[in-house]
Amino acid sequence: MREAALYRSKLYAEVRSFFNQRDYVEVDTPSLSLDLIPEPTIENFGTRFDNEFIGSTDLYLIPSPEVYMKKLIAMGFGSVYQLSHCFRNSEQIGKIHNPEFSMLEYYTMGADEQDSIGITEELFAHIAPRNGVDHLRPPFAHLTVEEAMKRYANIDLDQHQSQRTLALEARKLGLQVPEEKESWEETFNRIFLTFVEPNLPQDKPLVLDRYPAQIDCLAKRDGNYRKRWEMYIGGVEVANCYDEERNPEVVRSYYRKEYAKLVQKRTETGSVIPDADPDFADIFKNFPQCSGVAIGMDRLLMLLMGKTDLRGVILFPLSGMLGSGKNCNI
Amino acid sequence: MIKAGQIDKGTALLIKGQPFVCIDREFVNPGKGSAFVRLKLKSPSTGQTLSETMKSQDNAEDIQVSDRDSQYLYNDGENFHFMLTDTFEQIEVPMATFPDYEFLMKDGETYRCTFWEEQILDIQIPPKVIFFVAEAEEAVKGDTVQGATKYITTETGLKVRVPIFIKQGEKIRVNTETKEYLERVNN
Repeated sequence: MREAALYRSKLYAEVRSFFNQRDYVEVDTPSLSLDLIPEPTIENFGTRFDNEFIGSTDLYLIPSPEVYMKKLIAMGFGSVYQLSHCFRNSEQIGKIHNPEFSMLEYYTMGADEQDSIGITEELFAHIAPRNGVDHLRPPFAHLTVEEAMKRYANIDLDQHQSQRTLALEARKLGLQVPEEKESWEETFNRIFLTFVEPNLPQDKPLVLDRYPAQIDCLAKRDGNYRKRWEMYIGGVEVANCYDEERNPEVVRSYYRKEYAKLVQKRTETGSVIPDADPDFADIFKNFPQCSGVAIGMDRLLMLLMGKTDLRGVILFPLSGMLGSGKNCNI
Repeated sequence: MIKAGQIDKGTALLIKGQPFVCIDREFVNPGKGSAFVRLKLKSPSTGQTLSETMKSQDNAEDIQVSDRDSQYLYNDGENFHFMLTDTFEQIEVPMATFPDYEFLMKDGETYRCTFWEEQILDIQIPPKVIFFVAEAEEAVKGDTVQGATKYITTETGLKVRVPIFIKQGEKIRVNTETKEYLERVNN
């Protein structure tokens, strides 16, 4: 455990020196928030502030520091970075998941998601020790989702923009897609998780670029795709990057649509429904061009230490504290 | 019917008419996508494994299983032979389905088995079992290195790494999942 603590301390010092040398401002924003960005697929933790004179207010643990970092960018902070704890509910507890995890998030002004690849490569060159972790060293491998779907599932996504035809392709591949209606994203992920993700090259960090536009998020749209990439190392998702959406109307419509989806889904399941700030889109009236990257630091640390399990990297993982309960995947 | 998200290790399912037992499951939340579950399934009749990725909300056909006591008789190199203790009926299970079990089961011992119709889906080996040390190397005299270990062989043929003080003829408790030595058992 002591080794893991020392390793983390060294990694954080290197991350800080990298960004400080490049004039990013390190920020420290709240973990407890009044509202979150609506993301129907990320379950949240809810809690409450109680005071006998002021009254009570619902609060939510952040699943990422995005809301606050974007507010600072809108205020003119310039390039910013943060090392923070983030919280996601309901995900599995085990080898590569812990409901509380550490995230490095950095936003580079004037950059797009392609520039962020170069910046992240420089960061990795800076933090990877000289020996022993060749599979983490840049240059990164690069593949678009469109190319990956062609290569591993023989599907041309541009030809299958409707769920109906994509489901037909999935069935041809032997997948069981139920007849009931499902979203394009769900059918896409059936194919992606069965044929693509397990076969992605693992010898180098892989930037999987240009996610389908149907997977809605706050990355700019570009035709059938989004200016967004994820990085996989050894088959594990480690980073996510956007060319950040700056159009207030697009952000407003995203909020409206995704919040409605979130409320509908969570009313059915009974899980926490966080508030969303109806005026959040207003900060984009004057928002600089920028690209943001989020890196799961516990996973990165695990890979740097040559381990395959977060237990032994995170000092008190929830799975350890719960014992070997049913929810733990060992 | 069962939701895919509720399938756990040990859950028995019917896939295309064939029974399968879940041996591993992993939840996956692809970036900004819906919740999925990746299942590793094993066919008890052939030992064949299968990977399935399902949406957590998908329905799967689970099957009703029952536990019955069965006495382990012997293996013929291909099949384990059991006898149901209630009906005295004899049943075969391919050894390939349960790798290593030949070294964990004792002839004549009764095990709880999970059945679907007349087929054994799972043999429940207790998590800790006492074995007899059938063969052990002699400790080298003067070997006082702390934590020194050696290998012994149990009456079932299982090789276990044990502390050097364990002698032939003694009994030891073993974790049957990891096959690791736990402690010496005094008579």
